[in-house]
Amino acid sequence: MQDQHAQPQPEPKSHRGVFVMVFLMLCALTGLSFWIANSHLMQHRMTAWLAMMTVSVAKAFLVVTFFMHLWWEKKWKYVLTIPAILMSALLVMLLVPDIADRVSTYSKTRASYAPVIETGAEPTAQETHP
Amino acid sequence: MTAHTDTKHGLRYQSAIPVARGKIAMWLFLSTEIMFFTALIGTYIVLRFGVPAGSWPTPGEVHVVEWLGAINTFVLICSSVTIVLALEAAKLGQPTKAKRWLLLTFVLGCGFLGIKGVEYASKFSHGIHPSAPRSVLYDRADAVWLSGLKEHIRDRVGVLEKSGATAETNRELANLFLIQSGMVQWTESKVGRNDDPLMEPLAMSALASQVYPDSFSSEQRQRIATYMQNETAEVSGLLAGAQQGLDESRSQLKSLQEKIAELGKADDLTEEQKSALSAKKTQANQLTASITAATGNHSKLSARVRAIQEFHLADHDHHGINHDHHIKLPMVIPSGNTWANTYFMLTGFHALHVLIGLIAFLVMLPMTLDVARAGLVENVALYWHFVDIVWIFLFPLLYLF
Repeated sequence: MQDQHAQPQPEPKSHRGVFVMVFLMLCALTGLSFWIANSHLMQHRMTAWLAMMTVSVAKAFLVVTFFMHLWWEKKWKYVLTIPAILMSALLVMLLVPDIADRVSTYSKTRASYAPVIETGAEPTAQETHP
Repeated sequence: MTAHTDTKHGLRYQSAIPVARGKIAMWLFLSTEIMFFTALIGTYIVLRFGVPAGSWPTPGEVHVVEWLGAINTFVLICSSVTIVLALEAAKLGQPTKAKRWLLLTFVLGCGFLGIKGVEYASKFSHGIHPSAPRSVLYDRADAVWLSGLKEHIRDRVGVLEKSGATAETNRELANLFLIQSGMVQWTESKVGRNDDPLMEPLAMSALASQVYPDSFSSEQRQRIATYMQNETAEVSGLLAGAQQGLDESRSQLKSLQEKIAELGKADDLTEEQKSALSAKKTQANQLTASITAATGNHSKLSARVRAIQEFHLADHDHHGINHDHHIKLPMVIPSGNTWANTYFMLTGFHALHVLIGLIAFLVMLPMTLDVARAGLVENVALYWHFVDIVWIFLFPLLYLF
């Protein structure tokens, strides 16, 4: 650790103002997703979920960029972050079409196991459940 | 440690990437961690959206409190700020200040785990924990669940009978016997002999909601309460009728037996009297048999009435037998088992990461956090921010979706 300053480094600057701003934005964004979850938007589930995930991505971006100070780093940051982010986003997003489609066009048999019938499912089970 | 000084020749080597090696290592480690949690979240998404439509438990069904999750989000955001300020102080050569911020981060991290502990406890106390499918949590109130319920009661009675009689075990045994006779057997007989196809799901759901009502919607519970009120009235009527019939039969038998005894005393009976006596004896035997049958029916009805009264089964807003009587009967929570396994998997791995971060803070707290240690503080801070980011995604996924 002792050769930390062997490399010519710019004088450490205080980013306290930035951190306070980021903190306030993170709190506001948390409040926003909490509000979305308790609003009428939840009647359009997909939209609400997308909105909440967008809020989460924005929060993660703020944390990575400023708290993990990638903002002030050299270009090596792209090598380590972009592939990981792309791969993780692809992994999750490629799983969604199959699952989402499967649920929206549910078979009669499996839908009859459901206690509450949502849009897209056959309405038969509703009668047999109290 | 970006540059290495060759002391002998006074040469300086620069590594290929102009970043401290520890920091590069940490970032590489974090990219593997990103993939690890992506795999976990991907698994959750497959399971979460793969369940029958509309059956994923709502927060209230499984004792998830949204605002506790929001508070924990806030706690982690605050701890991210304090660790970043600790790093700043270390870089500026203010070790005392750095230590104070680090200590605050440690306290906030402990607070997060404390709230997590409270949340876990509320689930464990209701018998919700990771388990094999159809062992504790069942998807539907069907025959498989009912047989699981019977098996559980039988096993538990066996354990209690072996463990010796205390006031507590006696109370639980009495409750279990009443559940067995007044609820399980009753429901079985009701389901078995009824031709109405709607009766089976209704009777079974009523039983399931009396064990654990939280997974039933208020409409469902309203319907079950109406059904139970009708049934209570019907059963009390039947019980009163059975009681009356039983009393009548008994008094009839008594007078018959008196007459038989009277006739039996006489020595010289005419043929006519003899045949009357044997007819009366046959009548008495028939009456005894019918009283035995009526007693069975009467005790079935009275067990039902006692269960309804004792466990408040006809109430709309009871908390369920499991909660009120500290029994852990198998429960019906649609997709509840999948929920429990994924919830504890995701939050458990995250909590483990928090714990590891806390241990790192503990190790660092006795150190002098000056400029020389800034690299260490930076690496641990990077890890801690990553833990925060994971929670940023877990909070909406687990609490708000």
